Amino acid sequence: MFQAFFVDPFIMIYDAPLFFVEVLVSGLMAGVMYSLVALGFVIIFKASGVFNLAQGAMVLFAALTFVGLWELGVNPWLSLIISALVMIGFAFTVERIVLRPLVNQDPIIFFMATLGISYFLDGFGQTIWGGEVRPLDIGIPNEPFMDLADMTGLYINKFDVFSAVVCSLLVAILAGFFTKTKIGRALRAVADDHQAALSVGIPLKTIWTIVWSVAGIVGLAAGILWGSKLGVQFALALIAFKALPVLILGGFTSIPGAIIGGLIIGSGEKIAEVYWGEAMGGAIEDWFAYVVALIFLLFRPQGLFGEKIIERV
Amino acid sequence: MERTFGETLLRVDHISLSFGGVKALTDISFSIREKEVFAIIGPNGAGKTSMLNVINGFYHPQEGEITYKGVHRKQMKSHDAAVQGIARTFQNVALFKGMSTLDNIMTGRIIRMKRNMFWQAMYLGPARKEEMENREVVEDIIDFLEIQAIRRTPVGRLPYGLQKRVELGRALAMEPDLLLLDEPMAGMNIEEKQDMCRFILDVNDQYGTTIALIEHDMGVVMDISDRVVVLDYGKKLADGSPDEVRANQDVIDAYLGVPH
Repeated sequence: MFQAFFVDPFIMIYDAPLFFVEVLVSGLMAGVMYSLVALGFVIIFKASGVFNLAQGAMVLFAALTFVGLWELGVNPWLSLIISALVMIGFAFTVERIVLRPLVNQDPIIFFMATLGISYFLDGFGQTIWGGEVRPLDIGIPNEPFMDLADMTGLYINKFDVFSAVVCSLLVAILAGFFTKTKIGRALRAVADDHQAALSVGIPLKTIWTIVWSVAGIVGLAAGILWGSKLGVQFALALIAFKALPVLILGGFTSIPGAIIGGLIIGSGEKIAEVYWGEAMGGAIEDWFAYVVALIFLLFRPQGLFGEKIIERV
Repeated sequence: MERTFGETLLRVDHISLSFGGVKALTDISFSIREKEVFAIIGPNGAGKTSMLNVINGFYHPQEGEITYKGVHRKQMKSHDAAVQGIARTFQNVALFKGMSTLDNIMTGRIIRMKRNMFWQAMYLGPARKEEMENREVVEDIIDFLEIQAIRRTPVGRLPYGLQKRVELGRALAMEPDLLLLDEPMAGMNIEEKQDMCRFILDVNDQYGTTIALIEHDMGVVMDISDRVVVLDYGKKLADGSPDEVRANQDVIDAYLGVPH
């Protein structure tokens, strides 16, 4: 027992360091994809203090719209733009119909509202585009770089690298957009106290529309990347739950947190699966992330980068 | 010294506000002149806070008219009110608790910052310069309110009296023409009250800001106000200088009760 947990795995790592690097890299790449989904949550959480249960449904809906349009014969770039516009239109609708009447309500009310949005969007998307699994091929081959493999013996997947680049770009743009400036400050203000935010003239409606639009577009990117891995199907909506441990780890309000959290969870679960999987009876990849999240909740409930929780009594 | 006032800055005419069957305000009219310190007083539940909420657009009255800077309106919208120079503080302190004192006060500058999203996102060029300029204004306010020591402290950790001061700072950062203060001295000790009085009078004096405040401490109200309006059960009882109001029989009855 001791041998299997504390000795063998390290001997394996020591014996085949190249293989360890491969596992680590593929884990990190998967982590980037988690980060992308988590990012959608963070953006909305920052501006409303609410965990948006509909984020998964938004990922699915955006991906379905993209694939659906493409299958109808629309040029893929055009479908991408139309899908983004659809997500922005969706943001306007949500702000007008759902959020605006709820100004100044408790976060739990918003939370329940997002649950409603989630159910609606799941059904609506599948009513329009159908419920079957759709393959999605965006033209990035799912194969390793052969040159690199020949030279060093390291197998790195092209698609993984592509998605990592897309994610990094999105993250860089968003981080610039949401930190250090008046927008970032306005977002935090809105999340903290609606009435006070209104009293200093922060336009609540505009802020909400912006964050839901951005979350929708991030969802589109996540949907396309995950969709080309798994096929566009209902399961995409469930990927949202993989983002939950990422958020607990990184902190719900932090964009860098979502990234680092995703990387830790992604690489952690791959390494755990490969090296400790056998000792634990296999398939630990499925629950590893949640256990890490639980441990974090015990010791650092605000996450690695979350805002300190302050309550004066 | 004789104080001089300008034109009427804000006038409310025959305002009535009800929530379902509950009448919060009935037929209230008064006007606030530029540069004066105007107080709204009255027993608990008299509708004082409702009145402030009507002025800055949180509540929309069913009847009446609001004239601000010469423009007639049926109701204010809160965003317009802020942009038009109406700032306020709240009875129960509504600060952004997780943010530092500095950041809280900076939120007051948001409507004064004009650069568009693109520059903001890049945090360079004009936006950066703008951030610096606004930061200077905020530092001045911090000096004025003597809260340098707590600039970096998250406001949720501050004692109540200081929180009220930060809230005043945030309102001042908007460079308001009309400052609404909802019980600025509630829950403070004598020294804190004296400080707050000094700040209010200094703001009025140095920046020429018109101030409308709600306050329960009669001593304070009578000392610092130029004019007082008294509400009771949503109706206006009296309106005039502190001395006139003090002598008004209806006001005495409302506060002390009448023998039956």
